[in-house]
Amino acid sequence: MNRYEVFLKKLGRDEFRHAGSLDAADPEMAVMYARETHNRRAEGSEMWLVDRRHVLVADPESMAVNDQKPHRHNDGSRVAARRKENRNSEA
Amino acid sequence: MHTLADAPTDGRTWSDLDDFQAFIDAGGMVEPGDDMPDEFRSEVFRFIEFHANSELMGGLTERDWIPHAPGLRLKQIFLAKTQDEIGHAHLLYMVAADMGVKTRTEMLEQLFDGRSRFHNVFHYKAVTWADQVAIAFLVDAAAFASQRAVFAECTYGPYKRVLKRIVAEEGFHMRHGEEMLLRLATGTDTQRVMFQDALTRWWWPAVHLFGPDSPSGDTDPLIRWKIKSQRNEVLRQAYVQKYVPLLHGYGFDIPDNELHQDADGLWQAGSIDWEPLKATMRNGGPDSARRIATAAGNWADTAWVREALEQ
Repeated sequence: MNRYEVFLKKLGRDEFRHAGSLDAADPEMAVMYARETHNRRAEGSEMWLVDRRHVLVADPESMAVNDQKPHRHNDGSRVAARRKENRNSEA
Repeated sequence: MHTLADAPTDGRTWSDLDDFQAFIDAGGMVEPGDDMPDEFRSEVFRFIEFHANSELMGGLTERDWIPHAPGLRLKQIFLAKTQDEIGHAHLLYMVAADMGVKTRTEMLEQLFDGRSRFHNVFHYKAVTWADQVAIAFLVDAAAFASQRAVFAECTYGPYKRVLKRIVAEEGFHMRHGEEMLLRLATGTDTQRVMFQDALTRWWWPAVHLFGPDSPSGDTDPLIRWKIKSQRNEVLRQAYVQKYVPLLHGYGFDIPDNELHQDADGLWQAGSIDWEPLKATMRNGGPDSARRIATAAGNWADTAWVREALEQ
């Protein structure tokens, strides 16, 4: 038995989304199980199956470094503050 | 870096149960890779395994009625319901197996050995077609209410994600139940008597499905960890409020002599005898032995398929 991860995509611009996992003896059975378990009411128009052994998982530490780079966001608050200051000084 | 199949617990860790509780209280969601407390893992696993077993046993009873369903449309509906229930069992066994407590094969073997538990309502015999309608109308609705209350919060991510799908599909089953009840309720006298007899058999098991009152205060870990969002007695009371007037409206009698409306107009059920529920939890209900033996027989009969697939 191999364990597969199932992804479905609806017609349109949505991305593929994880739908669940399943055990199957071979790829053909896996596709059939996935269709019968996850797509009984046409929940997707496209389906991907990936053997779980081929899904790479990044270490949490490697993801955390980007949490400390607020300069990569700009919520506009500095510009708003500067404009407010200018308005106040004109008044 | 590793692959998803290696299943390391390199996710979040908590120093103790208080630390974990603070995480839950702040709206945290637990994922399989997290180093969750053992108590959480074993309680949540037991809950999901119970749910999975119930979907499977429920699916088998739906299957039994496919040949007896009157007419092609109802046979199609019962085929679809059977597929849905078995599909729900697939989803839930997968989520449970990924918790690393038991494999799916271990869960199935223990179920068929009579060493596991499943919902009380699948320990009773469905005598006539009207029983199946009562199950669809009363029992599916009770299960739907209880699952929706889990879905509302549900702090274990994989469970919450499959519940979304399960709850949506149980909604279809409820509508089928209403449609079938309407046919009997507006049918001949014989059909109405058939449904009344079935209602007399199934009312209490449906009420029992919610379980006895939850432990007082916040001593129920499943409520504390926000797997369950509502206490059993709250869900049971809401169910009684909704279904008593519905059934009365169709002109049926509810088999509860003490049932009454209180000063606020709320329906209050009579005192509940919990012994039948306890018997089902020991797999000692009226039809437990036959149902488990049938399921075990199916499992044994299909061993050659599993062996062939492993080749």
